[in-house]
Amino acid sequence: MADNVANEQLEKRAETAEPDPIADSSMSRALLITSILLILTLVWSLYDEIFGQRPWKAYQSEFVASYLEHLETLKKAAAKPEERNEKAIRETAEYKKLDAAYREATEKVAPRVKEIGARVSEIDREIGDITDPFQEARAWIASKIYQLETTASESGKESVRSSIEDKRNESITVAFTQKDGSIKKEGVPYKQLEKRYNDLRDEKARLNVELAGLTKESGEMLRKREDYLQNQMSGLTEQAVDNIIKGTNAFEYRIRQINVAGGQVVDRCESCHLGVREPLTLTADKMGDEKAFVSHPSRDLLTIHDPEKFGCSTCHGGNGRGTTSVEKGHGRYKHWLWPLYYKENVQAGCNQCHNADRVTRMADTLNRGKDLYYQKGCVGCHRYEGFDREADALASARQTIKQLELDRATRLREMRETREAAEKVTSNEEARSLLNRADVVLPQLVSQIDGRIGELDLQTKYLMKDQKKIGPNLKEIKAKLRKEWLPVWLRDPQAFRPGTKMPSFRLDDNEIRAISAFLWQSAIDYVRIADQQQGNVERGRDLFKQTGCVACHSIDGNAINQGSQPVGGHFAANLSRVGEKANFNYIVRWIHNPRQRLAPYSPSLRRDLTPDDYKSKNLAFLFDDDHSKSPLDGRELQVQNMTVMPNFRLSEQDARDIASFLMSLKKGEPRYPDASYLDDASLKQEGERLVKAYGCASCHEIRGLEDEGRIGTELTVEGSKPIERLDFALLTEDAMRGKDPITGGERSAWYNHKGFFEYKLRNPGIYDRGKVKSPEERLKMPNIYLEEDEITALTTFLLGSVTTSIPESLRYKPAGAAKQAQDGWWVVRKYNCMGCHNVLIGEDPTLAGVAMYQDADGKEQLPPRLTTEGARVNPDWLLKFLRDPSLAGPQAAEKLAQQIARHDAGAAQPSAVAGLTSQPGANRNGVRQYLRARMPTFDFSPNELQMLVNFFMGASVQPQPYIPERLEPLTGDEQTLARALFTSAAAPCLKCHMTGDPAHDARATAPNFLLAPERLKPAWTRRWLIDPAFISPGTAMPSGLFNRDEMHGRWVFSGPTPPSFQTYDKDHVELLVRYMFQLTADEQRRLGTGGAAPSAPAPGSTTTTSSLDRAIRRPTSRVNGP
Amino acid sequence: MLKKYGSMIVAAALVAFMIASCKPKKKDDGPVDTGKSPYQSKNDEGTISGVIKFDGTPPDRKRIDMGADANCASAGGEKLTEEVLVTDGKLANVFVYLTGGPVDQFSFQPPSDPVVLDQKGCRYDPHVLGVMIKQTLRILNSDQTAHNVHPTPKNNPEWNESQPPGTAPKEKTFNRAETLIPVKCNQHPWMKANVGVLAHPCFSVSAQDGTYTIKNVPPGNYTLVTWHETMGEQKTQITVGASEKKTQDFTYKSSVAYAPTSLRVEAALILP
Repeated sequence: MADNVANEQLEKRAETAEPDPIADSSMSRALLITSILLILTLVWSLYDEIFGQRPWKAYQSEFVASYLEHLETLKKAAAKPEERNEKAIRETAEYKKLDAAYREATEKVAPRVKEIGARVSEIDREIGDITDPFQEARAWIASKIYQLETTASESGKESVRSSIEDKRNESITVAFTQKDGSIKKEGVPYKQLEKRYNDLRDEKARLNVELAGLTKESGEMLRKREDYLQNQMSGLTEQAVDNIIKGTNAFEYRIRQINVAGGQVVDRCESCHLGVREPLTLTADKMGDEKAFVSHPSRDLLTIHDPEKFGCSTCHGGNGRGTTSVEKGHGRYKHWLWPLYYKENVQAGCNQCHNADRVTRMADTLNRGKDLYYQKGCVGCHRYEGFDREADALASARQTIKQLELDRATRLREMRETREAAEKVTSNEEARSLLNRADVVLPQLVSQIDGRIGELDLQTKYLMKDQKKIGPNLKEIKAKLRKEWLPVWLRDPQAFRPGTKMPSFRLDDNEIRAISAFLWQSAIDYVRIADQQQGNVERGRDLFKQTGCVACHSIDGNAINQGSQPVGGHFAANLSRVGEKANFNYIVRWIHNPRQRLAPYSPSLRRDLTPDDYKSKNLAFLFDDDHSKSPLDGRELQVQNMTVMPNFRLSEQDARDIASFLMSLKKGEPRYPDASYLDDASLKQEGERLVKAYGCASCHEIRGLEDEGRIGTELTVEGSKPIERLDFALLTEDAMRGKDPITGGERSAWYNHKGFFEYKLRNPGIYDRGKVKSPEERLKMPNIYLEEDEITALTTFLLGSVTTSIPESLRYKPAGAAKQAQDGWWVVRKYNCMGCHNVLIGEDPTLAGVAMYQDADGKEQLPPRLTTEGARVNPDWLLKFLRDPSLAGPQAAEKLAQQIARHDAGAAQPSAVAGLTSQPGANRNGVRQYLRARMPTFDFSPNELQMLVNFFMGASVQPQPYIPERLEPLTGDEQTLARALFTSAAAPCLKCHMTGDPAHDARATAPNFLLAPERLKPAWTRRWLIDPAFISPGTAMPSGLFNRDEMHGRWVFSGPTPPSFQTYDKDHVELLVRYMFQLTADEQRRLGTGGAAPSAPAPGSTTTTSSLDRAIRRPTSRVNGP
Repeated sequence: MLKKYGSMIVAAALVAFMIASCKPKKKDDGPVDTGKSPYQSKNDEGTISGVIKFDGTPPDRKRIDMGADANCASAGGEKLTEEVLVTDGKLANVFVYLTGGPVDQFSFQPPSDPVVLDQKGCRYDPHVLGVMIKQTLRILNSDQTAHNVHPTPKNNPEWNESQPPGTAPKEKTFNRAETLIPVKCNQHPWMKANVGVLAHPCFSVSAQDGTYTIKNVPPGNYTLVTWHETMGEQKTQITVGASEKKTQDFTYKSSVAYAPTSLRVEAALILP
């Protein structure tokens, strides 16, 4: 049925022959259009494939064109006959002199050289003639000897023997070439031939040795001449440029690709950035203003990080594979997580691997960022791995101690139980085994735990010493500050002290009142500081200026006659207005010893101890490094103020003078509003809530809040936080569109990490804009008032704070010396060693920037450079010195201990009045007593001492342990010689170096030689004597004291030497070094500068002086001895 | 393939070596590289002369204790400080020089004669002196004791060399203009000299009687600068016509205090 219907329909259709709308209509137009489209697409895709996808090709041809153009100019310059052109240099007097010397040296030996040459060529010819027939015969004999050894029968052996003998006597025909070239055949017996062959070879060897000796001098001269030529030429030779041009002409147009770490990194950056590794330094102006073609700005950096090994995007960010457009390649589009760092933040890349470095060489911006992170107190609120590591270590040590104490208790219980069990068991054997555990094993385990606890307890002591706070101790404000000043400061710290690290918290009046009241009321009030006499302001001013305070502190230049700008470092506070805020008594005590607290803090009891606590145990209220255990529970106390400010070992009078000077610094007599509400107890609770909320205890010690945690977010990997988690809040639109939220102007889009960090640092509350929030919910980060370059440095640091994607194999994992240097930098930076010293090559100390240290006399007063300290000093000595830079020794400490004991016994003062305790090594530098700046006592813990010593040794790549080099003892003659040289008018040693004679030392500008044996390393001392300016540029020690005597390969004194030196043929430097290292106090006195150490007899009184000694003694107008 | 790259590497290494070995020697060559045209004399140069006066009471010259070095103590000559030398109200040792005008527009050849700085009686003689860029400064040691010569320039390389008695004179040049370079002897801290280095020959030092003369001044407009070690600089505009003989006096006043910024080690040096 259905079929029928279908058929009918078909028939019907055929019949009607109506035009079919599909089959009959023409498709040609559609086909035409689509095929045109298809062809266009094909053309387009081909075009895109060949040109569109390969923008680098255009770059490459442009590079070749620009480079060739640049090379042509270079070539012209090289060809120009200028002063420094090779030909001109050959015309200079110096070159001619060297050339003449070379020629003279050559000519002097020329006849003999020629003779030798002639003879050698004769020998060569003869050997050539003899060699073949001789070796043939020798080979034949050798084969016969082998036959002899392998032949079994005696008769056979005999025949072989005789044939060898025959051959040996046989005459061999040799074709000798005559001088005229003809050939003369001669029969020579084998034995003779053998002798002749050996003789000729011997003679040739002898002649060659002679020739080498003869031409040594001229060879040396030639080398000197060529060195001179090489050194004088400043540019490339024409030929060298030609070679580069040739290379550039053969340029291959292709993708330049680096595969790194087994293909984990693929970088095609150099497909466009073709100049990066060119040997010539290319700049944009040389390369047709195309910035893409410039050389890498630091060749040194590329030497350490060879691009073939590290690639480009590893450090710089960006999409190394991208070649289709600049945006793609640089990774600055939505889908790439690691965009190319902007130029000002490029050092962020360094931090990916160097995050454990406190200081990374050649990364100034990054280093600055880390400095600021610490100095501006960011680390107070925001944890960052590595910064403030002591707090982490301390927490972990305390935790471990608790754990171990539990373990100990468990073990003791086990002991008891095991013993009980032993009583109950039936078998004797079992009882013995249990008793063994209870009485032998367990006690030792307990003892082990005890030892471990003891060690950890000591560690907590060290760590408490090492742990510092950014801000001052607020427990002491009642003793330190004027009450009325506190609210004024809190309102606007910047207004009182521009540049202070105390940020501004956007507080309202009520908050300020509450916070001030809480802080004031929680300060220690049960210890009063002893009244101090006023000091001499002028003397204090000089001391402040000279002692080195400005290495860390800045001050109004007017106050110390150094111009009108603030002078000094920004590591610590600007002291220009101390007089308006502080109490004199407290400042005296602080300057005298800033580490001295008013009261010790007990972390175990969580409170500050009082004199009554000590009294209850019948003890004086005495707490310091040697009295650091709590009288109540025996646990370690915090006995020092948590400041990095060191102890300058000033006398009490000096401390009073400096304090008087500081107290005289005022902008005017301050008039503060009434602040009696600070004692209003009703404000305290609200104040405490606010102090906790704002995290004040992160930077300050505050009573009751010692264990407060950090309130900020951890920033260790902030740079790799997903962008969605950075809360741009209502500024998201602005960021994406490119609107500056501060000026309101147009800018590029800033919806990225860089933009977020920069605006946050500029204005920490900015992301609250437009939001309605209660005060508690507002962003708490305070205003830090950073300069733009500081923002860049911090942004760079944060951008580099990432979970790196760099392959493990490429990361920086220092070991040995490099690791020691890496660890040590944390300590060096923490205590601001570079305020006074040049530690990093190229980084001047803060003091060098102060005007008074810039003239010739001032430069001499700069503390020593430490860039080669590890090579200079014995590590054992260094440890001793760092511990006590006065080198006053244990006697001084002993004396002090007695004084303190007497002080306690007398107990003249009520113990709640804190006075000054005198200190060892007061008022002197241990090594450089002539420096006005004082090397202070930092009171490092043993941990930090070791880290510092390791740092200096590591930074100079010195092996540890150090076994001093043994120096040959001086013979009696040598001793006399050295003494004569030391004291000759031509040698300046004793004019500048200290001798122990006070009158002389007042003028001295260099350390005492008596320190040398213990302090210095001989190898360094040799280098120092020969050219001190290489070790410490600008040093007062002159260069050119010794000349090189090439003839004998030694150094000789460059001035006139005493006559006795005529027969001395050894190295003079070596002689002096040995003399210095064997110098004794007696010998030093013999040198005739007078001045006896107090304990030793005056020179001349007990010893009879030799005639030589008398001759060399300088006439002195001074009378020795008392 | 290997061959091709090998040669490229060798070429690159060669070039790198040459750059590396040549770089440190590159000097800033003062007048030679500045592209200034050499000065052509029209024989119409003028002369500037004058007197440097001192108004007020000069500070007392203090005695220097040279006892630390017997050779100095026994040497002759007055042992007084010489920073401020005033005779009858006239100030010596003032460095007078021109800036601006033709002397900065042209380059000048340094004279072939050296300028001599002697160390005599443990003093530098002269105390203030001028040299031209690249002109030889010959340093003598006429004493029987060792000295070290230690200039501390800001724009020129610093050096510090020992000069024992009886050794050859040192011949040195400075390659950049600098007014003035302090020179000191570290062994005898009172020994100070000041060397002015200029790109042109128009400078002078006031004599004992306060007079100075700058000869061969190309006609033009200048700034005339006087420099004194402790009292600082004074400047005045001056126009020198063709073959003109100009007179320009200066006065330093004792009341204008020079603010000492240094850490001078005075107490150790000077006896009352």
